Amino acid sequence: MIPEARQRLRSGATLLNDLRLFSVHPRRQLNVSRPLLGRAAAPRPRPRERVEIPGLEPITYGARSHYVPGLAKPVYPRWEMGHKDPRFYRSPPHQQMALYKEKACYLFNQRTSILEGVRQALWLTKTKQTTGLPSQLLSLAESSANQIADQDERVMNVIKHARFWEMTEMEPPQENYCSTLLHSLLQLCSSLQASHPVLGKRMLAEKYSLTASWNRGEDLFQVRGQNGLLLSSTTPLPPLADRQEVEETENHVLETFYPVSPTIDLQTTHLYSPDRMTTGFCGDYPYPHAHTLYFPEGVDRRNRLRPPQLRAKMIMFCFANALARAHTLYGAAPQTLDQPVCVQAVATDGQNLQLAFFQLNTTDLQHHHGVKNQVSTGRAGRLIDRRHVL
Amino acid sequence: MAAPTRSSLHSLLHRNVRFSGGIRRILHTEAAAVPPPPAYPPMVPSLTANSKSSKRYRYELRVENVRAAAVEEKLRLLTRVQRKKYMVLPQTLARNADQWYQCFTKTAYIPGLPDTSSSSGVGRTEEVEGSTPDQLPQDDEDLLGEVRSLVSHALLQEHWYLEQRKRPALYKYQEHVVEPYVRNLVTGLTSCLATRNPLLLLASRDLKPEVNFYWTKGETIVPRGHRRGRVDPIRFQIDDKPHSQIRIPKQLSQFVPMESSYGLEVPEIKISPDMMPLFKRQYDNHIFTGAKLPDPARYGHTQFHVVQDRFHRNRLTKLNQADQVEVLLRAHGCSSLFCWTGAQAMYQGFWSREDLTRPFVSQAVITDGQFFSFFCYQLNTLALSTDAPADNPRKNILWGTESLRLYERVEEGRVVGLDDGVLRLLVQFLMNKPREA
Repeated sequence: MIPEARQRLRSGATLLNDLRLFSVHPRRQLNVSRPLLGRAAAPRPRPRERVEIPGLEPITYGARSHYVPGLAKPVYPRWEMGHKDPRFYRSPPHQQMALYKEKACYLFNQRTSILEGVRQALWLTKTKQTTGLPSQLLSLAESSANQIADQDERVMNVIKHARFWEMTEMEPPQENYCSTLLHSLLQLCSSLQASHPVLGKRMLAEKYSLTASWNRGEDLFQVRGQNGLLLSSTTPLPPLADRQEVEETENHVLETFYPVSPTIDLQTTHLYSPDRMTTGFCGDYPYPHAHTLYFPEGVDRRNRLRPPQLRAKMIMFCFANALARAHTLYGAAPQTLDQPVCVQAVATDGQNLQLAFFQLNTTDLQHHHGVKNQVSTGRAGRLIDRRHVL
Repeated sequence: MAAPTRSSLHSLLHRNVRFSGGIRRILHTEAAAVPPPPAYPPMVPSLTANSKSSKRYRYELRVENVRAAAVEEKLRLLTRVQRKKYMVLPQTLARNADQWYQCFTKTAYIPGLPDTSSSSGVGRTEEVEGSTPDQLPQDDEDLLGEVRSLVSHALLQEHWYLEQRKRPALYKYQEHVVEPYVRNLVTGLTSCLATRNPLLLLASRDLKPEVNFYWTKGETIVPRGHRRGRVDPIRFQIDDKPHSQIRIPKQLSQFVPMESSYGLEVPEIKISPDMMPLFKRQYDNHIFTGAKLPDPARYGHTQFHVVQDRFHRNRLTKLNQADQVEVLLRAHGCSSLFCWTGAQAMYQGFWSREDLTRPFVSQAVITDGQFFSFFCYQLNTLALSTDAPADNPRKNILWGTESLRLYERVEEGRVVGLDDGVLRLLVQFLMNKPREA
């Protein structure tokens, strides 16, 4: 045979031998380290269960300082540093904390996505919904005194700018697009200040933090945290539903969705201050009345809400703002308000605009009967038809 | 008789070119101004040879292509090839950065602001009575009162009224406290002044826009790589992100005529930009004013910048470098405004080989919440590269103020020491509009 062929055969034979060696046992890694073969570490065996028999003291190998088969593992108390060091602070268990309460409180924050959407929000806030915005608001929008010059063209330019022209890339990310759109539309609306000086009596707050708490049935609910942009005004919004409509809401029965509990998807906590109520501003803020809330959706990339959940979020935060302000104006006692407190909201996810007008008629939310609050929700059409985008 | 004579003379002209000047003189008076069509095609260098003349010819053809193209195609052709370039940072902390940046952008600095008394607006502190005749002093005072309350409310909202929040994390103070306050300030001021300056009604206000510019100046030899030994232009790129800017559909009028920049001095630095320190990277070349070409608001009005958290006045004063505070702000103003005006000019089709026919003008306000600096810039020339004419006498001009304190401090729900002069300057800046020709 040719010497090279013989050599090749021999090398082939050693290869076969090696293969046989490797195929002996799947777990045996002869002569080769585990990471090189690319396999994960074998799982650790579970520690033995510690058995405590009251009255009996276990004999441990602690005195012997080494493991002795048959003796129990010693348990030592946790070592405490003599001084306070914030890097190694261990928080005490919840039961020992100052704010601990036996009863649970249900929290709603800006990232909560509730299962039943609008129905659940209406139940929680004791509200009656009307689809479609009130005619007074629609007439305001259609009246020619409130139109901007070349309105259609300018709105088109604003949308195109936010969607196509704003960045050097082909399509800006959704968080940029939503915020830009909202701010540009707000700036367009503020150009009416010449004919409507009341527009100058408003201030936008971007990172304000709200807390509102109320009792509903046997449960305690709280709405907390930052939520969106708040346009505050020096004068309150006038209510759109008159006294008769407010009294008619007494006959309305809130929709339940048994077997789903109304507290589903709400964060439970035992550490809270009950009756905590803050508008987000302290002292005598020059713009004490909440006018409109703006929610640019898509800013939090990991938590994008679907339209029903977005509407629920709008209702909850409008309610929280109204409740906090009613608390400062009329006190903490649950009552039916003579002057309802109104807040509006606008939310957008880039494709659609959701609008809501909330009217707080009562702060007596414990019982299911009585006067209800009212919300009117509306929707503006799609801003961009993706099929026709170049 | 003229016709036969002319034709014989015409044929003479063609056949007897080498005759003495006398005949040519007679011929020249009679000959028509139109030269005859050439008998042979023009002699040009080769398109494919590896010779210097061929390369030069090909380069000139490329330049002609760019000249003939539409604006969008021009921008694409000029920024097509990626090469290593210096990243010029507007918010720099390098010492004496203003000298370097003035050298890169061929900008001359004039302290103080240009005289804009011909454009209507609230006059500066020392010339309240000297403002335009249609502006009544009472009106002036009402406006100033409104602006004062707006500014104090915006300031107090962030510093006083908003509920106790956690202290912002390291280097996040500007983002969480100063930027919302400046945003409210700009919004409020533009809405308030829109009645008096109708241009602001048509303006587009961008928040945190990208503004980019790419240019070349000077030459160097490529040190290593497959292009080693070749003469290469030095490339620069500015990627700026102002806090907010106002763009308008009509151009602002020039502050001074272009010719007045001929006598100004621009610092010349012979050392390589690496010594600044300035670093090179290769990535996409962008030229962007804040919006793409189809946007109708193509010209710039005012930019607002918030200085970075790392810029500490107190630290520089302690190091006995208090003058560097103004130097760094000036460098910031120079680079940001050159970037913006340059991009605006390129959007109109001007570039290094097709220089500006009219100056481009923009303004900037740089602040850290308490101190405000005002800058005005006039771009007179974009011909900075080596293949542009070397004897270009035009220079770009930057006017700027020192940093002025707006307020002393905030205590007990009120603003102490609010300076009216700074408010007037802010109003004057926003009231700037093109002069009616």
